[in-house]
Amino acid sequence: MNYLLHILVMIGIYLILTQSLNLVMGYTGLLSVCHAAFYGIGAYASTLLMTSWGVNFFVALIASIVISMLLSFVVSIPTLRLRGDYFVLGTLGFQAIIFGIMYNWISFTRGPYGIPGIPSPSLFGFVFDSPSSYVSLTTAFALLTVGFVYLITSSQFGRVLKTIREDEIASQAIGKDPLFFKTTSFALGAGVAAIAGSLYAGYMRYIDPTSFTIAESLFLITILAIGGSGNIKGPIVGTVILVVLPEVLRFLQIPDTVAPNIRMMLYALALILLVIYRPRGLAGEYGFE
Amino acid sequence: MLPQLLANGLCAGALYAIVALGFGIIYRSTGVFHFAHGAIYTIAAYLTYLMLVATNIWWPVAVAVALLGAAFSGVLAELLVYRPIQKRRASPLAALIGSFGIYLFAVNLIALIAGNETKVLRPGVDITFEVGSVILTRFQLLGFATFVVTLVAFFLFKKSRLGRLLTAFSDNPALVEVLGWNASVIRIAIFAAGSLLAGISAIISVMDIGMDPHVGMSALLISAVAVVVGGVKLFEGAIVGGVVLGIVQSLVVWQFSVRWMDVFTFSILVLFLVLRPQGLLGKKVRLEEV
Amino acid sequence: MNMDLSRRTDNVPTLEVKHLSRFFGGVAAVNNVSIAFTPQRITALIGPNGAGKTTLFNLIGGYIAPTSGAILLGTGDLTTRKPWEIARLGIGRLFQDVRVFGKLTTLENIVVAFPNQVGEMFWQPIFQRAQMMKMERPNIERAQALLEFVTLADKANTVAENLSFGQQKLLAIARLLAMDAKILLLDEPASGVHPAVLDSVMDLMSRLVDQGKTIIFIEHNISVVLELAHWVYVLDDSEVVAFGLPDEVIHDRVTREAYLGV
Repeated sequence: MNYLLHILVMIGIYLILTQSLNLVMGYTGLLSVCHAAFYGIGAYASTLLMTSWGVNFFVALIASIVISMLLSFVVSIPTLRLRGDYFVLGTLGFQAIIFGIMYNWISFTRGPYGIPGIPSPSLFGFVFDSPSSYVSLTTAFALLTVGFVYLITSSQFGRVLKTIREDEIASQAIGKDPLFFKTTSFALGAGVAAIAGSLYAGYMRYIDPTSFTIAESLFLITILAIGGSGNIKGPIVGTVILVVLPEVLRFLQIPDTVAPNIRMMLYALALILLVIYRPRGLAGEYGFE
Repeated sequence: MLPQLLANGLCAGALYAIVALGFGIIYRSTGVFHFAHGAIYTIAAYLTYLMLVATNIWWPVAVAVALLGAAFSGVLAELLVYRPIQKRRASPLAALIGSFGIYLFAVNLIALIAGNETKVLRPGVDITFEVGSVILTRFQLLGFATFVVTLVAFFLFKKSRLGRLLTAFSDNPALVEVLGWNASVIRIAIFAAGSLLAGISAIISVMDIGMDPHVGMSALLISAVAVVVGGVKLFEGAIVGGVVLGIVQSLVVWQFSVRWMDVFTFSILVLFLVLRPQGLLGKKVRLEEV
Repeated sequence: MNMDLSRRTDNVPTLEVKHLSRFFGGVAAVNNVSIAFTPQRITALIGPNGAGKTTLFNLIGGYIAPTSGAILLGTGDLTTRKPWEIARLGIGRLFQDVRVFGKLTTLENIVVAFPNQVGEMFWQPIFQRAQMMKMERPNIERAQALLEFVTLADKANTVAENLSFGQQKLLAIARLLAMDAKILLLDEPASGVHPAVLDSVMDLMSRLVDQGKTIIFIEHNISVVLELAHWVYVLDDSEVVAFGLPDEVIHDRVTREAYLGV
């Protein structure tokens, strides 16, 4: 039972991550390879606020959103003025720098030793420390995120984002400021990713930098490429498949020593086949065409 | 102290420059952000290991097999993945996602076969030579000599008819086709040559310091940074960028610690993107032309 | 404001370029061009490929910065403005390759172009959703009227990438009207268009100028120029080499040498 609840918690956390990346990648057409960095910034910001200053989880969560959004401007403002692949490179650099800081600034983050003993979230005396209570917490936030992404994309705002994705020059030609919209979309994506980071920290009660690597960023892109992006259901399909698949492989009794490699090869194969034959993914609307 | 550090940096940078030149040629001329360049690097490394350790073959044969394997893998990536993507006129970012796929597949296949642990080819300490006040290892000298040979070969090639064709293709692939050349053949040649360069760098590096399945990732990241630092629009940019990075890293390790090397490397990337997106060699251009 | 499509646009300021030059690595693409475009008239720019016509449009639209010279709209200076600012000042651009938003429907392509919509700021879809929805309804009606105006009413729900090239041009022009452009820069509106649609495009242009819009268009098809233009400028080798009434200019010796090559 607890095992099933654990999977549900992870689906909730990854839904938040993929829907926020969906806003950036699926709706705005920006390929960001630093989404795991914002996930990590959220996790570390909340954790440090809780463990060092004794701040309540929900206050720390809000603070981590703000911090993550502010840091997003460091990447977006300079690189979004340039052509598309410079943004990819800028996010790559940011990802590596943030990981480097998490890993090496030991006096601040404890580096590779990680931070243990993170308190469980509590609200008005109720402590979310059992798997079942945590499922309700992550599910609530996942639903909030899906609702938020749905509301802001099914709107004039979302429509402008799509014009930028389709043709940025034409978007300028009808009087929209692409830099403003891209920066906004990227910041919102970063803020929502921080929620996932905070929830992850409060759930695992231990974090270290290896959860927030460039490989994790690529994994999130993989989920969107497989499930699809540019609508709400694509990321949901991708998240459920890619979070549940490892458990299916475990069920098939593939030995643990080779399971991760086989899993990654399956992802990779799916990624390649989809990008060639079905760029919109299984259920998406957009695929870098 | 300083001459030694500069020499170490130069030798490291020489190997960076070779792999980055391969990445840069592919990126500049086909527009593909060839993430799988890292996988090609890893493939060359493990083929070398396989040949030398498992078959105990004469080393020049091992090197030749590894290089051919690298070139072949690069061509395979073009034929099986990039060409179909290009055919449907997708955005270059689609090729990048396909490239992630190739990287993930190849690296995990290697890990599955050879294991995740580090492999070494050269036990113990390397033979050293004194050059003036500087002490260099055998592999440092070998790497630098290979770099010089590669440089000479590259500049001779660039001056040749084929070299001019490559430059023309990078600027305007359609024009080259109008002139009667087959663009898909040129692209195959570009991927073969770029991958060969990745293989050269990989073999020298892993014979010296060993390998794990993730060596290719750092080689790829270094290549991307080197290309931006040197200048995307010129093939020489990758060479200059690679050497500069090698030297800067050597100085960072001396002044701070090896721990901060990556943070510095990528800070340099971000600084260049912000302050000098055209790179060291690029001419000052306005933003809209970048 | 666009509901009544027969209403005249008044007070269109004069668009003017003064000693405008643009060099690419020492080579002039536009060299010391000075033109004041007459408001509410159709001006044609003709000349051989590479003469600098599209570059002139790119300069006016703010997509590239001039090396020297100035671009003025009435009393305002546009020289350093960004493309989206220039678009908002009422200068609309039809691109040679049209650039419709392929994955959006024809209707969406137009609705998105209305300026200053409630709901474009990211908090508005959440906190002002009712107001946003309320504003959307008249916008959709206006968009449908515009589609009718450009003879695309039956294509409202077609995804734009599935329209023919000529239909995409009509859509792109409707998009310019939605953004309330008073000055239209049309880059080869007649090229690559099916003859039947060509009539629609030409008819549309004369109707628009009757309503008081200023139209500046680049065109290679001389009969289109003769039929529509009130005034013609000939560009050759990055400079203005001749200008005047269409009949006179087309039969002028300089033009024939520069452009027609006969």
